[in-house]
Amino acid sequence: MVYLRSLFLIIAGFAAGINAKSSTGDSVLVIVEPKQQDNYNLFFSGLKEQGYDLTFRAPKAEAPALIEYDVPAFAHVIVLASETKVFARDITPQSLVQLLAKKTNLIVALSPKQTPLTSLAAEFSLTLPPPGTPLVSYFPAREGPANVIPVSVPAKHTILSPNLHPVWFSGVPHTIGNNPLLVPILRAPAESFASETDGGSADSLVDSAERGGEGLWAGSQQGLVTGFQTLDGSRITWVGGADVFSDEYAKKEVSKGVPSGNLQFARDVAKWTFQETNVLRIDRTTHNRVNSTESLDQYTTNDQIEYAAYISKYDSKTGNWAPCTCLKDLQLEFTMLDPHIRTALLPVAAEPGKYATTFRAPDRHGVFKFVINYKRKGMSFLESSTTVAVVPPRHDGYPRFLSAAWPYYTGAISTSVAFFLFSAVWLASEAREKKAKGHKAE
Amino acid sequence: MLSLHIVALLIAGAQAAVLTLQSPRFTVTSSTGAQLRSEPISLARPASIPVTLEKDDVLKVTFQVIEKGASKGVQPHQTFLRFYDKKSGEEGIQPIRVTNGGKAKFELNMAKPPLSLPPTSDAPLQVTLLIGSPLHSPLSVALFDLVVPASQPAPVHPDEASFHPLPEIHHTFRPEQKLPPKPISAIFSVLVLSPWVVLLGLWAQTAPRVPHLLSPSILPFIGTLGAFQGLLVWYWADLKLGQVLTYGAVLGLVTIFTGKQALSKIGDQRVGRK
Amino acid sequence: MAPKSSSPAASNVVHSLWKAYSDQTSDRLKFIDAFLVFLMLSGVAQFLYCILITDYPFNAFLAGFSSNVGQFVLTASLRSQVNPENKNEFKEVSPERAFADFALGSIVLHFFVYNFLG
Repeated sequence: MVYLRSLFLIIAGFAAGINAKSSTGDSVLVIVEPKQQDNYNLFFSGLKEQGYDLTFRAPKAEAPALIEYDVPAFAHVIVLASETKVFARDITPQSLVQLLAKKTNLIVALSPKQTPLTSLAAEFSLTLPPPGTPLVSYFPAREGPANVIPVSVPAKHTILSPNLHPVWFSGVPHTIGNNPLLVPILRAPAESFASETDGGSADSLVDSAERGGEGLWAGSQQGLVTGFQTLDGSRITWVGGADVFSDEYAKKEVSKGVPSGNLQFARDVAKWTFQETNVLRIDRTTHNRVNSTESLDQYTTNDQIEYAAYISKYDSKTGNWAPCTCLKDLQLEFTMLDPHIRTALLPVAAEPGKYATTFRAPDRHGVFKFVINYKRKGMSFLESSTTVAVVPPRHDGYPRFLSAAWPYYTGAISTSVAFFLFSAVWLASEAREKKAKGHKAE
Repeated sequence: MLSLHIVALLIAGAQAAVLTLQSPRFTVTSSTGAQLRSEPISLARPASIPVTLEKDDVLKVTFQVIEKGASKGVQPHQTFLRFYDKKSGEEGIQPIRVTNGGKAKFELNMAKPPLSLPPTSDAPLQVTLLIGSPLHSPLSVALFDLVVPASQPAPVHPDEASFHPLPEIHHTFRPEQKLPPKPISAIFSVLVLSPWVVLLGLWAQTAPRVPHLLSPSILPFIGTLGAFQGLLVWYWADLKLGQVLTYGAVLGLVTIFTGKQALSKIGDQRVGRK
Repeated sequence: MAPKSSSPAASNVVHSLWKAYSDQTSDRLKFIDAFLVFLMLSGVAQFLYCILITDYPFNAFLAGFSSNVGQFVLTASLRSQVNPENKNEFKEVSPERAFADFALGSIVLHFFVYNFLG
């Protein structure tokens, strides 16, 4: 164990993430063939060191169950049994989807062999090549089989560590659909393509391309490791081959003296999938009139309204949520059936994590909602909706004593004064009528 | 990064045979058959002038894959043309059919472009030839930049827009009510007051005598009437409805009392005198 | 009196109407009529302002104008109830009762006017 720990430190070379914890739970179920379990020791010990509880289960074993009494038994599930043809009864594509709906995160490994779980990948807009055609690349020239490929990682990536060494990969590629919920993590090298390893023919490649459609899996548009974040927030990562996590690839050198980035890559993929990194939440939202702190459920048209959202990001090192000023394009919508107002929520310099804006309520009355709907690839989705009423001004809420109405004010007051004078004179005068001139008809 | 690896590995294990191209050439012909451009391809650097294809032009690329040093033709496992748009990141891979003797001919007809041509805008496509074989070192040749007419943009998922900042919406408010200039309102206020001149003039002529003005039975009634007017003007300026109704009720009781007193006195006077 | 036949008929009619009015109406009634004329002129002035310049705020115009109109109506009914020539029409209504109605109606009218004046 000591040897492994020092080896892990030497190879990884980073000290990131010791005792990093997930924001949604620490129990992990690993579904792996018992014979292959020892191939992934470095990966598993890395997870254990971060504080996860690993439980191992053979694919055919009935226990421990994935879902018990309609509650997921584990916070995360890793399916490394990529070549098993027969699974236990409760491991099916439908149960995996059910787990995702119940906020469980998954890592699923694929392989050139077709298993009951490969049909699930198509549901996520990932199209796999025909069975028996792994990814093959003759570039760069190297020793070793053509289906073990070093894949370079972009220097800057939202999910992976910066400046990661190339990653050894063997497995199947997939073409990525244009569903925006997909988060590509690792793309294939431009020169790679899917083909049979035992002497595939050049003609079959040309024929499959001429067939059209998804005939040829080739190029850098293919994905090798692709994540998907469901609208509920749970994350699933499809890995083209389980060997990415293996000890052999972690120790294998990419070139003389340059270790592979597999271990760090595996760590980063697990961190993102298990809700350690790129996890945001809205702590609370407040709305009030400007110069007031009271949160009303009814505003008047043309009011100046101030709205603030407090956003925090999960810090896996400390296991706490810390205010985050990382969002640059947060937007607020003030909606009644359609957005009437859409403005940017700008960070407030004085209070980290607070994003606020001030706007004027529309002069239409009705029931409005303050809506935050923030979706970006790789980050958790932020959604918030607060309903308020916007009412027309009360009878005494309108502007009064306007200069335009001076004549009317004078008219009313002069009528009052005239009435007073008239009744004073009338009451005080003689009740008897004077004989009018010419009253008596002649 | 990749080229370093190639160099390093080539230096380390240069036993693998090296492939090269023999007489690589590209030709551009128009739809009428007139030859627009025909050049040999240099393996050392890509063509300096980009190849431009109009709507119906045809691009032909021909070469033969041979082992360096030998003149034997080779059919490699992988002979791909890669079209890459650096600006948008779109890429297309087109396999080229190679005969057993290594001869390859590829034709790109813009009237019927192949499916592998990626969606293009105004940026040129970098065209690279990738040749890979299990028995030889791989070969990658940058051929030329290709300029083709812009195509339909790649289809976008309907929800894609919500993953980026959306355009701001501002509400157009009803324009503020414009008030007329104050002097105009003031002039008209004076106009509204002008009938007082007429009133006072006429009343001067026709006003009856007021002998009973200060009589104790009539003056309170006049006073309460005035008080009512004052209360109502105060209500207009300052009070709330509840307050004015309360004060008005109180004042009303007083008024009833004084009014009865005043009017019965007046009535008696009228009847008595008569 | 024999009508003058040399003047135009219209001005003759107006002139004789005016003469009959000023001869036969008592001073008390003329006092009321002056008030009526004042209210009418004041109402016309406000109406002109509303049409020519602006009707904003409209509630103020309605309040001011109906103050004049309502007061005119109340005063006119006071005049007809107090006129001794109408004594047969208003047998149960003494002039004092008429004035009490007038005062009450006016106060209620003014209350609504100031309520709406804004």
